[in-house]
Amino acid sequence: MRTIEVLFVIVILLSAFLITTYFAVLPSPSQAFGTNLRELSQSTLETLDANGVLSATVFEDPNDPAWADLQRALSASLPPNMVYNLSIYDLTADSQGVVTYQLTNSISDASFGADSDAASLMVTSPNVTFTQDPQKVGESTGQNITMYILNCNDANGWWITGYTGQSLAEDVYNLLSPYFTTTVLLNSTADLQLLLENSPALEGTIENAVVVNTFGEAVPIPDDYCEGGSHESDGYSGGSYAKYFHTLGSLTRQHNWTWTSIVGYPFYYVTNTNYFDFAQNGYGIYGMEDVRTAGVNAFLQGLDGASYSYNDAGTAAGVGGVQFTSEALERCNYYGIYPFPNQTASRALNQSIEGIYHLDRFASVFKLKNGRIAAATFRHQDGSGALTAIGLTRIPDIRVTALALLMYYNPTVYKSEFGASGTSRLVTLQLGQQGGT
Amino acid sequence: MTGATIDHMISLTILIAALLVSMLIFNGLFAAAVDYDRNRQVANKAIDIMNTICLSPGSPIDWGETNDTLLGFGLQDPEVGGYTLSPYSIMRLNTGSSSGGSQIVYYPKTDSYYNNISANYGHGVLIPLGDCVNYTDAAELLGVNGTYGFSIDIIPILEVSVSQVPVSPPQNHLILKVDVRGSGLPLSGATLSYSLFHVGKGSTYPSIASYSGVNQTDSSGSAVIEFDEVDESNDAYSFIVYVSIGGVTGNGYYTHNTLGDDHQLVIPFIEDYDQGTVIIAHSWDVQGAGTPPVPEIKYNATFFALTSDFQFQQIEIVNSTGHLLYGWGNPYFVTQLPVSEVGLLVISYKRDATRMGTVIMPWGIGTLGVATSFDSGFGSSGYDFVATELRQVTINGVSYQLKVSTWSLSG
Repeated sequence: MRTIEVLFVIVILLSAFLITTYFAVLPSPSQAFGTNLRELSQSTLETLDANGVLSATVFEDPNDPAWADLQRALSASLPPNMVYNLSIYDLTADSQGVVTYQLTNSISDASFGADSDAASLMVTSPNVTFTQDPQKVGESTGQNITMYILNCNDANGWWITGYTGQSLAEDVYNLLSPYFTTTVLLNSTADLQLLLENSPALEGTIENAVVVNTFGEAVPIPDDYCEGGSHESDGYSGGSYAKYFHTLGSLTRQHNWTWTSIVGYPFYYVTNTNYFDFAQNGYGIYGMEDVRTAGVNAFLQGLDGASYSYNDAGTAAGVGGVQFTSEALERCNYYGIYPFPNQTASRALNQSIEGIYHLDRFASVFKLKNGRIAAATFRHQDGSGALTAIGLTRIPDIRVTALALLMYYNPTVYKSEFGASGTSRLVTLQLGQQGGT
Repeated sequence: MTGATIDHMISLTILIAALLVSMLIFNGLFAAAVDYDRNRQVANKAIDIMNTICLSPGSPIDWGETNDTLLGFGLQDPEVGGYTLSPYSIMRLNTGSSSGGSQIVYYPKTDSYYNNISANYGHGVLIPLGDCVNYTDAAELLGVNGTYGFSIDIIPILEVSVSQVPVSPPQNHLILKVDVRGSGLPLSGATLSYSLFHVGKGSTYPSIASYSGVNQTDSSGSAVIEFDEVDESNDAYSFIVYVSIGGVTGNGYYTHNTLGDDHQLVIPFIEDYDQGTVIIAHSWDVQGAGTPPVPEIKYNATFFALTSDFQFQQIEIVNSTGHLLYGWGNPYFVTQLPVSEVGLLVISYKRDATRMGTVIMPWGIGTLGVATSFDSGFGSSGYDFVATELRQVTINGVSYQLKVSTWSLSG
């Protein structure tokens, strides 16, 4: 009898055990952890979008090669045991404001097992920005004007303390390239030589071009134009490189360039770190040789169509503080460029150059002071060639140069737009681990 | 009566046996549950440490760019946010005592030890050990010292290898082959943006000329780049390439010298992290190597800042050229880098007219794609449960995988 009772107890115990194990399913301790797929997914999405590539790709046509690149990037960046599914949803809102999600594209590399997790990222079309559409310089007159920026890696700058010619070239590019149909960086003096010789190998249109010298008072010179070079006669005469600037002035006249000097005394040095590797300007900056005050005179002679004659008369001098003209202040607002309106001019050109070299003055950035012009564009009265000279003290403010050129060419800036429809998409990345967790 | 007693004994025995079996089974269940809970705590701690490292810049937030005492540990780039790590904070990690870390370097002329985050061929970053954050301090600041162990591995996502392709005479120009792989697979269609720094003999000091261009990998993940201006065997040069595809970016480099071996004759040390001053030292003063010692080396140091589109822009630095002599009577040179710009310090040097070399020091860890590890030096061996967390991050725009492993020190 008691055996039967005990059997009952055992049955009850076993039943309790079975019921407990049936309902209380405990995972294996090794399953306590699997890589946090949601966070990995989130970080993957953010990494892919770090340079805006993901945002740009998800708005592309599904047949665009960018999708294949994205798929390769996902496969390359995730561990080999991970599978993924990237889905893109277009967000649209009806007239009632109800937002709907419509799948537009999806890429994946395998089906998922039991364990997966996902994260999402809302991206905005790169086209949805507050935009300015500037008119290209010369567009209104049917001209195709190219801007050449001197970015020579074998040249040194002077009077550009705190910057390099190359960093200023990048700034000029960022500020002004939207206003030009073509912008070309001349990355070496060899590139500059292509410009001087009107080489067809050079990109852009040489006629009517704007040439911006970002090396301050120094101007890059190709090896061939130096003493002993194949173009020595165009660059060196009577122990001075003022002849080189006369050649630049003549070419400016011949091709109707606008030569731009961003700061300081224009054409004061020639620079070429390969040729002048052991010459310095007296202030410890190697790779240049001084021409001094004869440089700007020689350039203006060339611009005037006159033959070269060495003239070292001082043409620029300091006048202290100068103020923006009312036109410059108005153009600051128009173009959204705001250099400080009070500056110091230590190398302002003498007003007498207008009579001597037959120049007309346009787009004065600063008010005339003591018969000197701190920053303006001087165009030859024949209409062939111009010089934009910014005679300010160092440290250069490249925005003054940008303002001076924009005042001279006066391109129109069309009204901004802000797109809003169909401009946001939801990107979800689902990750799973093959072979369990 | 006897029958009842036997009945009792049998039933009692069966009952006790049943109870014992039940207790053993339940005990096993409870043990598994306790283990699971304990492991779960480790896993949660791994996530916690990972999030702290990835999503917090630490305190002060610019500790990576100064010599300030660290009050809170985190590697996030405070200027960018998100899953972006500071290239400077990582440089301040003391990786010398980590498992697999490079040996620390002693420089007698400053009487200082330097942490060595190195890449191949002697290129890398040497930072005064006193400015570095060691593992114990980081563990204390993370609140896990003595309770949890952890390790950090920062590895570039893309494997970019560069090799020189031999050419047959009379050709002698340089041909380099770039192979790009991701997760072990070749990456086709990747865009390459490269720069080559060519060491010229110069007049007194060697010169550096840079060449740059773009290319694309073929279906096998390779690209061949030719430089007509460079002699493949008689010229020294450094080659850096940035690779990008679909939002993932990696980089690789290759250097060649004409010294006859890979032993560098010039070694750059970071003198002051805050000011960006760098010592340019004669290698014999550091290693006592080279028999007989090279008496004099003429160098040309150039800093190239890395732009957001992976181009290099040269920035002028002081003492960019010099004449290095070994021995106590001959001081080292000091130059200064712009602390706010990531980039590469490229030092070209010449021993004589034919023997030249180049050494690269990244300023900001991502510029040279250097991988690094940070742990206690003992690793996780001996611990039966290690939780591992992975994240994708960017450093200087270069894509990295960050792995944090965590284990409980209590067993």
